[in-house]
Amino acid sequence: MSSTELNALLPLTAVGAACLVALAGVAVRRNVVFTFVVTILGFAVSGAALFASSGAQSVGGLLVIDPYARFFSAVLLASNAGVALLAFSYFRSYRENREELFILLLLETLGGLVLVSAVHFASFFLGLELLSVSLYSLLAYVRTRKASFEAGVKYFVPAAVASAFLLFGMALLYDAAGTMDLAGVGRSLARAGSLPEGAVAITGLVMVIVAIGFKLALAPFHMWAADVYQGASAPITASLASVSKVAVFALFFRFFSGIDLRASALVGWILTVVAILSMLVGSWLALRQRNVKRMLAYSSTAHLGYLMLPLLSGGRAGAAAAAFYLVAYSAATIALFGVITALSSVDRERDDGAELIGLAWRKPFLSAVFIAGLLSMAGIPLTAGFMGKFYLLTVGVGSSLWALAAALVLSSGISLFYYLKLVAVQFSRQEAEPHGPRTPLAAGFALAVAIVLVVGLGIYPGPLANAIASLAL
Amino acid sequence: MSPQFSDYALVVAAVLFALGLFGVLARRNVVYVLISVEVMLNAAGLAFISAGSKLGQPDGQVMFIFILTLAAAEASVGLALVIQFYRAYKTLDTDSARELKD
Repeated sequence: MSSTELNALLPLTAVGAACLVALAGVAVRRNVVFTFVVTILGFAVSGAALFASSGAQSVGGLLVIDPYARFFSAVLLASNAGVALLAFSYFRSYRENREELFILLLLETLGGLVLVSAVHFASFFLGLELLSVSLYSLLAYVRTRKASFEAGVKYFVPAAVASAFLLFGMALLYDAAGTMDLAGVGRSLARAGSLPEGAVAITGLVMVIVAIGFKLALAPFHMWAADVYQGASAPITASLASVSKVAVFALFFRFFSGIDLRASALVGWILTVVAILSMLVGSWLALRQRNVKRMLAYSSTAHLGYLMLPLLSGGRAGAAAAAFYLVAYSAATIALFGVITALSSVDRERDDGAELIGLAWRKPFLSAVFIAGLLSMAGIPLTAGFMGKFYLLTVGVGSSLWALAAALVLSSGISLFYYLKLVAVQFSRQEAEPHGPRTPLAAGFALAVAIVLVVGLGIYPGPLANAIASLAL
Repeated sequence: MSPQFSDYALVVAAVLFALGLFGVLARRNVVYVLISVEVMLNAAGLAFISAGSKLGQPDGQVMFIFILTLAAAEASVGLALVIQFYRAYKTLDTDSARELKD
């Protein structure tokens, strides 16, 4: 490995090194503040290394650190830094070991960084597994709550099955293409064409799509989402909803940008059906939830369905639209789960819709953040979500994906009901509960950054739009 | 073209995979589900080896070693989860876990 390759890998090395330092720290003497500081420093150094580098550098044919990988790495680092701040506040009163939580968060981030820069099946698979196996442990982290084990098992079984599907699909694609390079597989799929000559390749591709569908909780693979979101502690759910989905989607997009979908109409149809189902089923199920986390689980299914528009249209405009939407989605996700984190404690999760009654009068700051997040998810003007949806529709209409664009509008219409219902509830005058504990500083900081992003990108999207305009693949 | 050895291997792998998937869907006991997942992972490994031997490349075997590593990691985390699950619910039946619902 040459020194230029090692330099390009610096963002990944920084997170890995932070992980080792944190582990060594735990071995010598447990100190949660030390582990937390190391975690944040690891994210910061990794982020600085991202900004310091430029151009595209391939590393051993497995990874490529290009502007696309760097942009999504920055999104992942920022999201998980927010999650670390939230988790630090949330786990204050936890009596058991807290240090491993941050080490697992670092490992999860490392898996995400590998995923967004992967250009080979081996790195794709390793990154995804690093992400998933860390998440199994994170979801079941709280040993004092029964529900957390249930969430762990309910994520573990579908995720492990999805891994098996992914591997079998990869093996079939490898058999058909003779290479495990993502670009090479894409080229061979374009040549293999349609059924029946390309049967092995198409079967493989469909199995990979099933696996990715599970990880992104796209309908009809969304059954696990609500239980897992509800059972995990709020900051971990935030990480599951933002980091794991952004990383897997970024890879999905890179993989599909190399495949000419017009060559295999069947796969295009499957993706279109999955997208429309996700949008409508997600919104419909979200409408019926009383628990805020369950509602967000289903609404996230709908949001990932929206993101199928840029995936199917592809190209530079598609990449830019997906990137903007994912930033808006992550910021709003961190804001919403962050507020639930600030309201809850490790002993008691306050995620029922009724907990929000009169929040605007009891806790104006938390309420403002929560409302900004909800409005952004709903796509109301002057929020990041509106700009994101605008981009998606532009791309969809530009490539004549009429059915998908119509489903997006319909699903957004349904989603207004459940988002705005939660906004209205907060202004109810009924004093439900006495004033809770004060919002801790760390969580407050993360929430402040999230609300600035959500509102700032809605009012002034120029800088981000310019930055992502050149995300060539 | 007559069927080659690797085609038969691929069929065996597909059958193994289907058996594993059936096990995951039919069994309610977490330990059996874990075993079935392991069967599915090894079916994928067999498919990789058959593809590698057909193409005359070592990549298939390299991926199999990766899969072994993953299966071990997955099983260790999975079994740890199973133990905690058993302590919490006093059963290994996944259907009995009903804390999470709306």
